[in-house]
Amino acid sequence: MRYSYYPGCTLHSTAIEYGWSTEAVCDALGIELVEIEDWNCCGASSAHSLDPRLALTLPTRDLMHVQALQADIVMPCAACYGRIAAADHKMRTDPAWRKEMEAEFQTAYIGAARPRTLVDVLGNDLPAEALAAKVKRPLNGLRTVSYYGCLLIRPPDLTNRWDDPEHPTVMDRILRTLGAEPLPWAHAVECCGASLALDRADVVAVLSGRIVQGANDAGADCIVCACPLCQANLDSRQKGISRKVPVLYLTELIGVALDLPGRTKWLAKHLVDPRPLLKAKGLE
Amino acid sequence: MADATIDRGSNAILVVGAGLSGMQSALLLAQRGHAVYLLDEAPGIGGSLHLLDRTFPTDSCGLCISSPTNATYCPSIECSLHPNITPLPLAELLHLDGEPGQFRAQIRRNPRYVNTERCNLCGDCADVCPAVRPHPYEGDLAPQKAIYAPPPRAVPNAYVIDMNACIRCGKCVEVCPTQAINLDEQPTEQALHVGAVILSPGYSPFDARRKGEFGFGVLSNVVTSLQFERMVSPPGSTKGKLVRPSDGRTPKRIAFIQCVGSRDQTVGREYCSSICCMYTAKQARAALESQPDADITVFTMDIRTFGKGYERYWDSVAQEGIRFRRAMVSKAKQHPQTGDVALNYVNERGQPQEEEFDLVVLAVGLQPTESARELAARLGVAVDAYGFGDAGEFAPVATNRPGVFIAGCYGEPKDIPDTVAEAAAAAAQAAQLAPRPPSQPQGASPVSAPDAEPAIGVYICTCHRTLQGALDIAELERYAASLPHVVAVGVADDCCSAEGSGRLSEWIKAQGVNRAVVAACSPRLCQAELASAIANAGLPDALLQRANIREGCAWAHRDSPAQATAKAKDLIAMATMRAVHARPVGPQKTAVEEGVLVIGGGVAGMTAALTLADLGHPVTLVERDNRLGGQLHNVGFTAETPNPAQQAEALAQRVQTHERIALHLGASLDSFSGTGGRFQAELRNAEGERVSVTVGAVIVATGGREATVSDHRYGEDSRVLLQGDLSRALAGGHQTLAQSPFGGARTVVMIQCAGSRDENRPYCSRICCTQAVKNAIRLKELKPDADVFILYRDIRTFGMHELLYRKARDMGVVFIRYQLPDKPVVEALDSGLRVAVTDATLNAPLVLEADAVVLSTGIVPNDNAELARLLGVPLDSDGFFQEQHPKMRPLNFMKPGLYLCGLAHGPHFISETIEQAQGVAMRAAAYLSERQRTAKTTRVDVNKRLCSFCGLCVSACPYGARVMDYDERVARVLTDLCQGCGICAVTCPNKATQQYTFEHKAVLAEVDAGVLGM
Repeated sequence: MRYSYYPGCTLHSTAIEYGWSTEAVCDALGIELVEIEDWNCCGASSAHSLDPRLALTLPTRDLMHVQALQADIVMPCAACYGRIAAADHKMRTDPAWRKEMEAEFQTAYIGAARPRTLVDVLGNDLPAEALAAKVKRPLNGLRTVSYYGCLLIRPPDLTNRWDDPEHPTVMDRILRTLGAEPLPWAHAVECCGASLALDRADVVAVLSGRIVQGANDAGADCIVCACPLCQANLDSRQKGISRKVPVLYLTELIGVALDLPGRTKWLAKHLVDPRPLLKAKGLE
Repeated sequence: MADATIDRGSNAILVVGAGLSGMQSALLLAQRGHAVYLLDEAPGIGGSLHLLDRTFPTDSCGLCISSPTNATYCPSIECSLHPNITPLPLAELLHLDGEPGQFRAQIRRNPRYVNTERCNLCGDCADVCPAVRPHPYEGDLAPQKAIYAPPPRAVPNAYVIDMNACIRCGKCVEVCPTQAINLDEQPTEQALHVGAVILSPGYSPFDARRKGEFGFGVLSNVVTSLQFERMVSPPGSTKGKLVRPSDGRTPKRIAFIQCVGSRDQTVGREYCSSICCMYTAKQARAALESQPDADITVFTMDIRTFGKGYERYWDSVAQEGIRFRRAMVSKAKQHPQTGDVALNYVNERGQPQEEEFDLVVLAVGLQPTESARELAARLGVAVDAYGFGDAGEFAPVATNRPGVFIAGCYGEPKDIPDTVAEAAAAAAQAAQLAPRPPSQPQGASPVSAPDAEPAIGVYICTCHRTLQGALDIAELERYAASLPHVVAVGVADDCCSAEGSGRLSEWIKAQGVNRAVVAACSPRLCQAELASAIANAGLPDALLQRANIREGCAWAHRDSPAQATAKAKDLIAMATMRAVHARPVGPQKTAVEEGVLVIGGGVAGMTAALTLADLGHPVTLVERDNRLGGQLHNVGFTAETPNPAQQAEALAQRVQTHERIALHLGASLDSFSGTGGRFQAELRNAEGERVSVTVGAVIVATGGREATVSDHRYGEDSRVLLQGDLSRALAGGHQTLAQSPFGGARTVVMIQCAGSRDENRPYCSRICCTQAVKNAIRLKELKPDADVFILYRDIRTFGMHELLYRKARDMGVVFIRYQLPDKPVVEALDSGLRVAVTDATLNAPLVLEADAVVLSTGIVPNDNAELARLLGVPLDSDGFFQEQHPKMRPLNFMKPGLYLCGLAHGPHFISETIEQAQGVAMRAAAYLSERQRTAKTTRVDVNKRLCSFCGLCVSACPYGARVMDYDERVARVLTDLCQGCGICAVTCPNKATQQYTFEHKAVLAEVDAGVLGM
């Protein structure tokens, strides 16, 4: 299993624990990630709110760049995934735009590589048995809620419906394979407030607060997510919440279950420290 | 059964789809004498109708209306009893060859695995069946066995096996007492010769799973409207109780979400499903009846109650405390701990809101069935983008394939009255392609034995020996023989098969019996078989009495045969005593005229006249005006037809030259008398001469007109006009527009519901929203830079008209919602007009400067009072004619032989008017085809000697069938109008009124036998 790898800015910086755990887990599971050479910013939320053309051109450059490898591109971050999938969709559905971009980059767009997000690859490409076979420390007794946020599987036209956009189940399936106990809850695809964290922190406090409270109400030990911005918002907006809930990346929990050595470094990066929880469950 | 040839001759019609529409078509065609094959892929006829606990706007299922007479409003029972109808359940039409008039239809009949003749509904098979699956009929909210009984009113009423669920263990085969089950039954094919085909395959509900944001299929407390319908139905999944699926609690806060799978581009369902607003109103009322403290919220974009009487129904339901939210719900979330469902929406103040409910009901829309799509492809019948059958405005039930017609929800979603009308129209078209059947053979005149000493035969049926053991049959035999007047007692294993029915006839004749008591299953069952047994034995119907010893005794008291036998004895004694006093009532028959009088020469009257004339009936057509065409001359244009006036001319041409139509222009009805089948009418023609005609039936098609109003400066300012004015101005394109008052207008403001849906005219005129949208689109097409504003309360572009609404918005027409009591106010300025309106969405006042204001004023009836008086028929409170029953008889008056259609009935589109007109013609033709009128056998009669002329019966009669005769000083019965309900007989203090087959003496003797014993 070989993929082009687009880490995006966060996986090398603010969400470096997501980057480390992604690389370690893929390595352990035999998923080869080839980081795209000279990748550039996807544009994230800033570009498409200011310049629609730039918002598409930036990720198109990455798409053009990656064609040589002829492997699907994996992006762990939901925002990167959304932007690159949008650029790919535009190239596939708008011939005039495609012609313009091909001229701009002086490259023909083959479209052989599909933008994919990491959870999709882990849940749909990797056979469950392959994952199960690698589990050394089953996450027994760990009650989780899976949080996808609003962007990871939406809009359905862009994501090719790798999971149900309203009632996704892939993360629960993976967590069950790891031995955890995923719980039903109502907030799996609610919005955390995303980049409003910068200019409207009050809105994010309300939105993320509801999600954390929902996890609390559901009786979850921790929230499992797959997006750096979601993680940051949920992790940092727990003031006034009755019981603080650790927010872990899916890859981190896989790393725990696979007993990967680097995890102590990853788990130290969180605001709500997950280590006491894992210790209590015998998973330190 | 499977291999039997069932070809019924050249005048046969094939009806594909046996729901309400198919059944209505079949009944009318059968009544006219055609053989009808009524085919359906389901195990029984009835379609979706049996799912419905009750229907709007009458809140009834119809059966109760006619008790204790035959189920005159229950089409499935009527169909099962009609000798001309051959129901073909579990069947498919494979292909169709040949030409109209001589089609060859190849059909496949799929196995039921249970022989309908042998199955006695005992249920032993389902008791032992180990295979359980979700009950599709209950929306999967209850379990069901692989072998199951169809719903109670199904025809045929026999068990059926779902082979997808069956595990072929064979337990049912072993236990079946009548050897009715054959797991190896195979499908068979056969060919039918038919003159025409009617496609009425109905609809399927939208799959709510496709709207993932509402969580249906994932969130247990989100149900569809069909599931809810079954929930509130007493025999349904929760026996009429409101129950939350997640925890069985009674829900208090209930939300209905409208337009799920309707008016929604994201799921490719841009059209409006037309019926959901009304069924939600009905279900909300049912929920409140079940749970009076329920707190009901309806989320809706527009409230579309456009049918006759619907606005009032909605208002009355709304007054019961239902909350309406004009909002689209974006998301449903169910909290796993509480089971409560939170809905997100933007409230009327523009703020996002989350609100919790105990139960959420999704009002799902309608779409064509998958099998109908495949059928259309096999037959080469054109469908629209959604797979609905395609037909034209002026030929609304004709498909592209000659001889193949469509009706019901297959054309587009529609309610019951529209379906009933359209089904009749399809029948009218089909009937023209099959030879007119000969006069119906009259059955042998029953031997009447009124004065002979009662000689009663008691016939005990063991129902394939299944009652043996549960009842002491030998004891029943001994007991029956001991009863007074009983001369013979017989025991049989089955009276319901053809052979069994024949044996009963022979037995009656051989034993010299002149009254019969059959002790068997419920009197609801096997009516046709026993009726034919009695008739073949030469006895009138009324001399058969039935004792229910199966359901009422053997089944109800399974565990105590002694008690069951004792009860069976009582029931046999009661039936026997009733038989002693029964009076033989023969059918009262009167000959009928062939001709029909049609009053009104607009599109409705012309279409009705032409259809009847084409069906072979002489027609007299009376038009008050000096030309034919009525409102077609005023329409201007429609979305589909550029020049309706031309269509009027074409119809008029055919009317004037038709050999069977006598046309009287400038004429009116002067006097009228007679009863159904034979009316005398006097007309006064244009020359002032009186013309007498005698006809069998009369059709009222007197039309209506665009209303005028006295506010909004209409009539005072020449720049304020009506939609009709604009339509005529636009009809001729740039040229007529330039010459019209709208020629120079840059800004046009349309005001909907002007003088309509208010306290003076509290009904919706159905067509005005579509008319406004159609005019707006044309205006934008001719003058793209014109600004068009439409001020509305609810946009009611139902069905496919919704596509026009979408188009208008895409073209830049601006829609602004207002609500009462804040009506828009029009002011005249020198420079133009100023319209002030409060935008109910923004909750802010707006002022629009306009060059012209166009009012949508709605439809008012013509002055019908005098005609109604002459004909003796009622008007409704809005001045339209009042039909017999708003749901099942929308085209009939209560008086037999009198019919109505078109704008005289209520506001309608042209295509709907044509459907009604064709349908009404078929109804009249079917009525007159019987050649004789037969009065109800349960009618009442008056003993003049006992009648004290008090008049209580007159006020009690719901049908106007009792009248005071001041000459004879007696309260007469108008036999034609009598429906046999018996209310007057109960009311009569002197017992002067007696109901045939329910005579006091007989009923009292029956009661005495039951209460006092023999």
